[in-house]
Amino acid sequence: MNAQEHQGHHIASAQMLWTVGIGLFILTILTVTISSLGLPSPLDILAALTIAACKAYLVAAYFMGLKWDNKFNTILILGALAFFILMVSITLLDTMYRIEVVPSF
Amino acid sequence: MAITAETKKMTTLQVKRFKPSENPTNTYLTDEKGVWAWMTTVDHKKIGIMYLVSVAFFFALAGFLAIALRTELWTPAKTFIEADTYNQLFTLHGAMMVFFVLIPSIPAALGNFILPMQLGAKDVAFPRLNLASFYIYVIGAIFTFAALASGGFDTGWTFYTPYSSDTNAAGVIWVTLGVFILGFSSILTGTNFIATIHKLRAPGLEWGKLPLNIWALYATSIIQVLATPVLAITILLLAFENIMDIGIFDPAKGGDPVLFQHFFWFYSHPAVYIMIVPGFGIISEVITTFSKKTIFGYWAIALSSLAIAFIGFLVWGHHMFTSGQSAVATTVFSFLTFLVGIPTGIKILNWVATLYKGSIQMKTPMLYVFIFLFLFSIGGFTGITLGALSVDIHLHDTYYVVAHFHYVMMGGTLMALLAGLHYWWPKMTGKMYNETLGKISAVLIFIGFNMTFLPQFVMGAQGMPRRYYNYIDQFTPFHQTSTIGSYILGVAFLIILYYLLKSLFGGEKAPSNPWNSRGLEWQSTSPPDFHNFDHTPVVINGPYDYHKPMEEFQLGLAVSHNGHDAHADVETKEEKA
Amino acid sequence: MANHSASQPAHVHHHFVDSEQQFDTAKLGMWVFLVNEILFFGGLFCAYIIFRAWYPELYTQAALQLDKTMGGINTIVLIFSSMTVAFAIRCAQLNNIKWLRWNLMFTILLACVFLVIKYFEYEHKLHLGIAPGSYWNPTPEILEVLDHPKANIFFSIYYIMTGIHGLHVVVGIGLMIWLYIRAGKGHFSSEYYTPVEITGLYWHLVDLIWIFLFPLLYLIE
Repeated sequence: MNAQEHQGHHIASAQMLWTVGIGLFILTILTVTISSLGLPSPLDILAALTIAACKAYLVAAYFMGLKWDNKFNTILILGALAFFILMVSITLLDTMYRIEVVPSF
Repeated sequence: MAITAETKKMTTLQVKRFKPSENPTNTYLTDEKGVWAWMTTVDHKKIGIMYLVSVAFFFALAGFLAIALRTELWTPAKTFIEADTYNQLFTLHGAMMVFFVLIPSIPAALGNFILPMQLGAKDVAFPRLNLASFYIYVIGAIFTFAALASGGFDTGWTFYTPYSSDTNAAGVIWVTLGVFILGFSSILTGTNFIATIHKLRAPGLEWGKLPLNIWALYATSIIQVLATPVLAITILLLAFENIMDIGIFDPAKGGDPVLFQHFFWFYSHPAVYIMIVPGFGIISEVITTFSKKTIFGYWAIALSSLAIAFIGFLVWGHHMFTSGQSAVATTVFSFLTFLVGIPTGIKILNWVATLYKGSIQMKTPMLYVFIFLFLFSIGGFTGITLGALSVDIHLHDTYYVVAHFHYVMMGGTLMALLAGLHYWWPKMTGKMYNETLGKISAVLIFIGFNMTFLPQFVMGAQGMPRRYYNYIDQFTPFHQTSTIGSYILGVAFLIILYYLLKSLFGGEKAPSNPWNSRGLEWQSTSPPDFHNFDHTPVVINGPYDYHKPMEEFQLGLAVSHNGHDAHADVETKEEKA
Repeated sequence: MANHSASQPAHVHHHFVDSEQQFDTAKLGMWVFLVNEILFFGGLFCAYIIFRAWYPELYTQAALQLDKTMGGINTIVLIFSSMTVAFAIRCAQLNNIKWLRWNLMFTILLACVFLVIKYFEYEHKLHLGIAPGSYWNPTPEILEVLDHPKANIFFSIYYIMTGIHGLHVVVGIGLMIWLYIRAGKGHFSSEYYTPVEITGLYWHLVDLIWIFLFPLLYLIE
């Protein structure tokens, strides 16, 4: 049975895989280069995380196939990220707003 | 489900009626026999029963510990237990009840059995994973017993640092590993349920026709999958802190003990919703069956389960009002805690509205529903009281908190579990229990429970601290009333154990649908077939359409057909069988 | 009559109607598990963020002890291993079992390279006394450049995060060896390659975690 006839089984092309792979490689070089520029905080963290997010998007959408997959799987991942962000931000509401800067009791 | 075109597939399915037999010869109990068959089964029904037996075992054990604790508290000073032993006992009582009874009870024991049947499926999505999750539960239990054997642990079930990270008790390491392992059992059950609910629904079963029990288990599974991993990492960090002194929770090394509390409660607050939300699902099922009425506000109840799941993740700091967390965080958490009461309140009101103009039958399961409504409402209201920041400063770590969580966990989850157990017992075992004894023990539980825990609210407000072995003389009458109440509870549970076991050996044979429920799980034999149904069920009505005739709930595919597309608009051609 | 999928191929389990449903369900199950992993590592990232917010200068100072080159090479290694596993899936879909096995082997080898580099990183640090928890005992040369009193916290977080990630790599290697063996026995084809697909998803997650670990631990200036 021709594999192309499989409903919903998207087959990645070799060209696409190589392109994304090289893209990720380039972004890695980029992030290392930028980090050595010594940008002022918080710009350096922002730059690093933005590039990391781009790389993550490429891996998730193309390598993991989310672009062609059931939309619900994408919702799952975005949901997980949303809860992670909630966990961090609400905890920071405590740790960043203590009267004593850092606990050293 | 990959659909090539954007339009929904329109299919006409040929159906006919499949009335379940009242005298099944082959059931899931007869088709696989022997100890080895049970131990290696991948049948969700057997796995559910194995969980039920384990949960009952741990409940008996932890319940016995509770009786011991309450007996010790009969007098202000030492009655018959040493202080250090007392600490170990309440720690064990809490850890066992939370992790080995309440978290798995309704989802893993009843849910495993009933969920696939309510979906018209043959099993859960990953049956072998289901068996694995049971064994993981068992291994977690073994580690906990190992903890007991190596000296026990007395940190309280909350394992707060710095005590838990500094204490040399090998028991702490063992039990934290045990809980870590147990967490995976919970995660795998949740994963299984999410996949099953999405993918294995019978033809015609759209989201709007799902029983509310399914919505509740769905919300629970989401919480399990999102929250339990955070418990896992917390426990791991605690273990590292204890073994290697990494310093994350140690102020001398620059760490923060309150951080442990953040991580711990990020799981443990949603965990209490893992405990109660499946109970809500059961209440919806039982209350409609015994009112012979459709539920009031289906979507309100369904979506409120999801709302509770979501908001439940935002309120964990209300366990930490006095911990030293910042004023900003404290205020935010207090406000959010009030919000979480709203969807729960919606449910209670909708259930009461369901009763209105219903044809109410006060059978044992329904009795437990009424008990639930009363006890859980008290528990819920007192939770809101505790959420009020200023009041909590006074009430934190007092018996008021102890009473609150027993009202919601025992008066809520456990009552719902008993309701579900008595409701589905005929289906699971094919036997009827003694209805009179059922009613008597329900009443005893109500009396015993209130006698045990109502005085604790008063004590707590007057300042009696929790986890205290000694107390001042003014609290003696409260403690003694509470202890007597706990004995009544103990007797009631023994009676339940007695008549349930007795029904297995010579109880009246159960019909396929003793309560005349419209639920899909009831349109099968009692006990069910190995494959749940001997046909592919087709659903055309809502789950509580009591105004429709029973025949319309017993439809199945008449011809062999792919039939796995639940999105299909179902037109039925009935051929009366 | 029971609606068993009697006419379905052997790999379709009895409670599924067809191969399609089983495949989609397996994928959904794996994505749910990945959500779980994200929250698991999320807890560690949360600890990282909190301590970085409290001791920013510690992080800047301590990160100098981490070898950017080794970390960078490991990142490239994992990226290419993600690519080879994606190729492995593609080969399975095209019924090219021989190259499915080759790509699995490449992935395994790349993963082993990752672990070897990691081993050298750890060994170097432990040699200098940079160890987690109560084993913290840095040499005087290190103390000259790393004089923050809470320095051990950064390295505890470093060891735990990279250590648990490394554990996941080891598990991934084990899974892929198992797939390699099964593929050799002819278990997979374009009709059925579900285990390859879901193991691939797991492996991509391992890569994803490292994509964030690398800049956050190694690239702080």
